[in-house]
Amino acid sequence: MTKYVNHDLKVSPTPEEAARQTFMSSMRMYVLHDLANGMRTVYESEVEPKFERKNKRTPKDGVEVHRALKKDPTFKFYSSMRCNAQEMVFRSILPTVERSQDTLNKKAKALSRSKKANGTVETDPNFKVPRSVSAIDVHRMPGNYDTEYGPDDVTQGAVYDNGISVFSMGFFGENLDDIGSSISMFIKNKYPKFAPKRILDMGCTIGHNTVPWAKAYPKAEVHAIDVGAPVVRYGHARAQAAGVPVHFHQQNAEATDFEDESFDLIFSSMFLHEVPKKGIKKVFKEARRLLKPGGLMLHMELPPNKMLGAYDSFYLDWDSYYNKEPFYKPFRDMDPRAVCADAGFAKSKFVQYVIPSLGQYGEKAVKDSVKKQTGKADDQTGRFAAGIHWYCFGAWK
Amino acid sequence: MSTAGADKKPLRYSVRGKDTRFFSAEGVDELVAISMALAQELWVVKERLAAYEGLAAKKKVFTAKEIEGFKFTPAQRAKLDAESQAFIDRVFFTLRERVEGLAADPDEPAPPKEP
Repeated sequence: MTKYVNHDLKVSPTPEEAARQTFMSSMRMYVLHDLANGMRTVYESEVEPKFERKNKRTPKDGVEVHRALKKDPTFKFYSSMRCNAQEMVFRSILPTVERSQDTLNKKAKALSRSKKANGTVETDPNFKVPRSVSAIDVHRMPGNYDTEYGPDDVTQGAVYDNGISVFSMGFFGENLDDIGSSISMFIKNKYPKFAPKRILDMGCTIGHNTVPWAKAYPKAEVHAIDVGAPVVRYGHARAQAAGVPVHFHQQNAEATDFEDESFDLIFSSMFLHEVPKKGIKKVFKEARRLLKPGGLMLHMELPPNKMLGAYDSFYLDWDSYYNKEPFYKPFRDMDPRAVCADAGFAKSKFVQYVIPSLGQYGEKAVKDSVKKQTGKADDQTGRFAAGIHWYCFGAWK
Repeated sequence: MSTAGADKKPLRYSVRGKDTRFFSAEGVDELVAISMALAQELWVVKERLAAYEGLAAKKKVFTAKEIEGFKFTPAQRAKLDAESQAFIDRVFFTLRERVEGLAADPDEPAPPKEP
């Protein structure tokens, strides 16, 4: 199995494949820790002082840092190795998934029909996948979320599950659900009287961060949507394997089939930065339409540029330029408060939190953070490194 | 690359719209990719060697401690030292060639002009 894929859909890499996967986790750690810290040192000791001498001021934003740093060999090696590492992560798991393709499809079908949980899945053969997904291999994942290799195929779900297992280096937790687990625990403790009856996860991919919500609120009816048919099929089978009932649908969060005011909680994680700016606005309006009065919309994301210093903005925006995440920077340039207000949420109902990772800090730290919220992001927020915190924002309706 | 059978549609391994260019000099980006792939394959060999050592210890062929404590004879050592020099030279050949290239004969016939 890939290190963090231990459920019924786990695959069996050969020793050589497993060694390639282990190597890629280590290589990513080297790039994101050693090379990244080295690049920051070079920036602070050489590039920034040079900029300051020339301009009589420090760079004002991430774009100026980027421009100043991009000619430096440290930036070039960091970037080249990070792009390669990203692609090699997926190539390290593809042969294992490809060999297991038939078995995976059969197992997923059996789990989908099983009585381990009462979840459901709906896909639509006439569904139009938006070009922001169909025309690009987001974050260099060959096939993205939507490629289907045959009828009822789940391959891309397995590619994503096993890919992020190698990619995350443990920062997504043992079940790759640290984001959902940390945030649902936080919300439950922050708002003990809030008892959502219906929950929706938008852009759920394989539902790894949906399942924790269903566990946190076991009486709630939990729905999850994504535009990729293979990922919702896989997500359903994965949730069934965990014995957690979740209803998966192939739907676009910009315009869903659900009724007005039919959900108490609408969540997303790492979703908005993969949506074009126009789409994000539609997603927020749709969330507002779907929320019952008194309901909560909450999006886990990378922190916005305005919360970060120039270097950290550059560092996180790197993905937008080089990692097939074209909407990443436009999203991070948006003001979360303004986007919520534009969709009709009252400004006074805006919320944002920086929550410690449950996997890294433990339950007590997450609960303590309920009382100690500063609402400030720092260079540990959203970054895959020791001390990771998850940023989320949204609004009550 | 693909492990699919002849009757199956192979999975796509490459990313659409290859665009990872950072170095102005031709080929450097490819060399970075090749170096990383080589390092990965070397790691595969190291893990396989560790498996051999583990298995050898389990089967009581020899133990990891015996490997750690193994002493080459002076002749074996000298042979290995010479081989390691040659090994380093092979790996870093491009750096030697850069220096030796400076000693080119000024009368060296020029190749035809590139089209």
